[in-house]
Amino acid sequence: MLVGAAIASAALLLLPFMIRLDGKPHAEWLQFVGRFHPLLIHIPIGLLVLVPVLELAGYYRHTLHEAAKFVLLLAVPFCFLTSVLGYMLAYGAGDTGTTVTRHMWGAIALSVLVCWSAVFRLQSSADRLPRFYAPLLGSALLALFWTAHQGGSLTHGSDYLTRYMPLPLKRFFGHAAIVPVADSFYARRIHPILDARCVGCHGESKTQGGLHLDSYEALMRGGKDGVVIVPGNPEKSMLIVRVSLPSTDKRFMPAEGRPPLKPEEIAVLKAWIRQGASSSDIAVSGAPALANTSDDAPPEPVGDYSKLMGEIEQMRYTQGAKLVPVSNNPGDGLVLETVDVAANFGDAQLAQLANFASYIVEADLDRTGVTDASFDTLSRFTRLRALHLAGTAVTGAGLAKLAPLSELRYLNLSETRVTSSALQPLKTMPNLKHIYLFNTPAQPATKTAEIHTPDGTQHE
Amino acid sequence: MKQHRLCTDCEHKPDILNLPISGALKSEWTTTETRRQFLGRSGKVLGWAALASLLGDAAAPRILRADNGKATQPSPAQNDLLLPHFRPKATRAIYLFMSGGPSQVDMLDYKPNLAALYNKDIPDSVRGNQQLTGMTAGQAHFPIAPSHWAFKRYGQSGTWVSDLLPYTAQMVDDLTIIKSTNTDAINHEPAIMLMNTGNMNAGKPCLGSWLAYGLGSMNDNLPTFMVLQTKTNPKENNQPVSSRLWSSGFLSSEYSGVGLRSGGDPVLYLVDPQGVDRQTRRNMLDAVEKINRETLAEVGDPETNARITQYEMAFRMQASVPELTDLSEEPQSTWDLYGPDAREPGTFAYNCLLARRMAERGVRFVQVYKRGWDTHDNVTGVLPIICQEIDRACYALVTDLKRRGLLDDTLVIWAGEFGRTVYSQGGLTPKNYGRDHHPRCFTTWMVGGGVRPGITYGETDDFSYNIVKDPVTVRDFNASVLHCLGIHHDKFVFKFQGLDQRLTGPAPASIVQGILT
Repeated sequence: MLVGAAIASAALLLLPFMIRLDGKPHAEWLQFVGRFHPLLIHIPIGLLVLVPVLELAGYYRHTLHEAAKFVLLLAVPFCFLTSVLGYMLAYGAGDTGTTVTRHMWGAIALSVLVCWSAVFRLQSSADRLPRFYAPLLGSALLALFWTAHQGGSLTHGSDYLTRYMPLPLKRFFGHAAIVPVADSFYARRIHPILDARCVGCHGESKTQGGLHLDSYEALMRGGKDGVVIVPGNPEKSMLIVRVSLPSTDKRFMPAEGRPPLKPEEIAVLKAWIRQGASSSDIAVSGAPALANTSDDAPPEPVGDYSKLMGEIEQMRYTQGAKLVPVSNNPGDGLVLETVDVAANFGDAQLAQLANFASYIVEADLDRTGVTDASFDTLSRFTRLRALHLAGTAVTGAGLAKLAPLSELRYLNLSETRVTSSALQPLKTMPNLKHIYLFNTPAQPATKTAEIHTPDGTQHE
Repeated sequence: MKQHRLCTDCEHKPDILNLPISGALKSEWTTTETRRQFLGRSGKVLGWAALASLLGDAAAPRILRADNGKATQPSPAQNDLLLPHFRPKATRAIYLFMSGGPSQVDMLDYKPNLAALYNKDIPDSVRGNQQLTGMTAGQAHFPIAPSHWAFKRYGQSGTWVSDLLPYTAQMVDDLTIIKSTNTDAINHEPAIMLMNTGNMNAGKPCLGSWLAYGLGSMNDNLPTFMVLQTKTNPKENNQPVSSRLWSSGFLSSEYSGVGLRSGGDPVLYLVDPQGVDRQTRRNMLDAVEKINRETLAEVGDPETNARITQYEMAFRMQASVPELTDLSEEPQSTWDLYGPDAREPGTFAYNCLLARRMAERGVRFVQVYKRGWDTHDNVTGVLPIICQEIDRACYALVTDLKRRGLLDDTLVIWAGEFGRTVYSQGGLTPKNYGRDHHPRCFTTWMVGGGVRPGITYGETDDFSYNIVKDPVTVRDFNASVLHCLGIHHDKFVFKFQGLDQRLTGPAPASIVQGILT
């Protein structure tokens, strides 16, 4: 028996050196059999955790000591078998990486320790447990917990337990997330996609095919099969090829039944690669905008207007125009609402609001009496993001005065008399993406849709 | 308050309004006191005043005197409630409520494999142990009724839409279609209450009332929350809707929805009678208000306050509603878009046009009711009629808002109270079938500020019976709506009956991240 234990331990210890994990996938049958490792693992874990329980309980009920011996003995072949299966899985799939290595050595250590604990345990005949049994078993259990944790990290990612940890706890354990600081397109759009979909198998803890996808350098360097990104050529980039395969294809990525990338994610990757796959470009043309569009970044808070609250209230009673906070957070600024007093609100009334100009982020002047002369006052609304001028008498003369409003994103000129020529100065404003010209001379001609209804008539 | 003659407590008569405390505090007291609190207190006057200041959470309604809507005394800031909690994506919402339960299988939930299963019983494994309704419990068979109408793909998103909704199909790239909405209610009344108030039993405030209470009005001359009902079509199976659905529940009744009539004058008696001009009416209302305030001081019922506010609102509506409903200035492009139906008051198209005008004028929440979706039988006969009534109007509303630049900050919601079964209720023939209520999955859509355009969220199984991916409960649905309007559904509470009442109810709810921008 001693001899058997010695041979088995030696064999297991030498296994990594005899058949090295070289990161290349091997025979498929190895992967097939090896995939029963996560299945089988539960048996030795259960048995080994049971052993100390039975030993301790054995002090109260003697028969349980015998049970402990039985359970421990049973655990030994399972430990070895599981380790072998695990090795077949790693070797067959071509896994490498720190976590894989740690998991492997942990498992080997665990198996050996369990084996020798069993040997020692068998030799005890009387009630008293042999001398080295407890420390050996204890070390085996520690090895078990450590190995199991590594295994969990392999399957679920090293942040599985900490991802949803409440923030105070996170800080206590020093796990606060590291957010990429750079403003580059890679950092904002590419890295999050790879992080969410690929790094589980191609990152620090597990490196399938020797490919890291968790940093720009690693991404461009590629893996055992060569580079995955060919700058300027998305169709030839292995990354795109693999994620664009039919999901039933053997080589489809993400592998192992993980959800495929969304079409917009693939489009973003393609656009970035087409533009040269740079780590410094801020914007990439042709990349689908994020659903939140460019209003993604939360705007800078406006200044402190708390001292002006009294004046603002006063303004409401005298004039009727309201300055309403955007939200509970004063930094979000104020909205100018005039709908109650629209008939009496004109350029003069607007001018009276000049004091509050730098706190106003939205001005609703629809159907008021303002004219082109209001652009002077409006040009002082430096933080303005949205301007409603629908149904007013503006003609657009002097719209150039709004050009310095760098945060302006929305301008509604519907049902006014603005002309296309008047809109020219607005073309220089980079953020002004939503201009509404319904029912104006400047309204672009729209294609009318042909719609076929069930009763056969067509409408526009 | 007059002491009861049999009461032996030597209370001196409290008169809050004569105390040397600030006007704002007095006004707060009058509005936040509930009758029960008032009557239940054994009364230390100073204690009341202190309590009133502690009750600062409730928003005092703005009791503005009407001359151009200017307030003559400062009212507590709307932001006493600290709403919106964060920058909202939408500041208004229009809710198109499809009462009766639209059939998702025939409209938006495409299941091509059902055609091969015509007349085969739905497998027990799919139906599970769902309790049958009284209407179908007598059936021996539950044959699958595939959709009578073909589906096609539309838009860049490639969304499948049935031939019943050719106009809706044109705007799929703007819509957020949720296929996995689900509810627990099997019948109309509880289901419709659940969608609107977050509770199957009556008595809770509806979504519009919560918004009116929390966010207040943008336009003081129009009600914050308006309800439009569509005239019923006798060919359709019209389930009742009642004013419970836009009731303010335990919130002050000034937050309940104001309904416009669906035929004839939108509001009765808007015009002053002969001989009564506006100033005369103003004087009359001032006098009534004075009497009401004396009642308020004596009795302390906060509903008196609501009454005063509503009289004021009615006065203002005399001027604002005729302007709102006067469609003579609408450009021809409006009629081209909405179609001829929109000229006829009471139709769904007309109501959608009104809803757009209300949105333009800063009405916070508009709810339009369309009844008749309850197709227990004769689906092939009825569904085309009702779809034709709403399809173009929905498209027109969204397009109209979009081209006028209003869609950016308006949230449009289209929802019924539950879906319909894939199996036929009653007989199944190649030409016709019926569908029973189906709570486990139904399809809704949203568009506008705060929701992602051109996506379909959630998936049902091959029988459009169970949800296989991303279920959205009614409370999650409502939580997401609140989120678009800048409100944290968890934090927006009102203390009543010892509970922190919220729209989304006591069970945990979460916003549906996948549909939100």
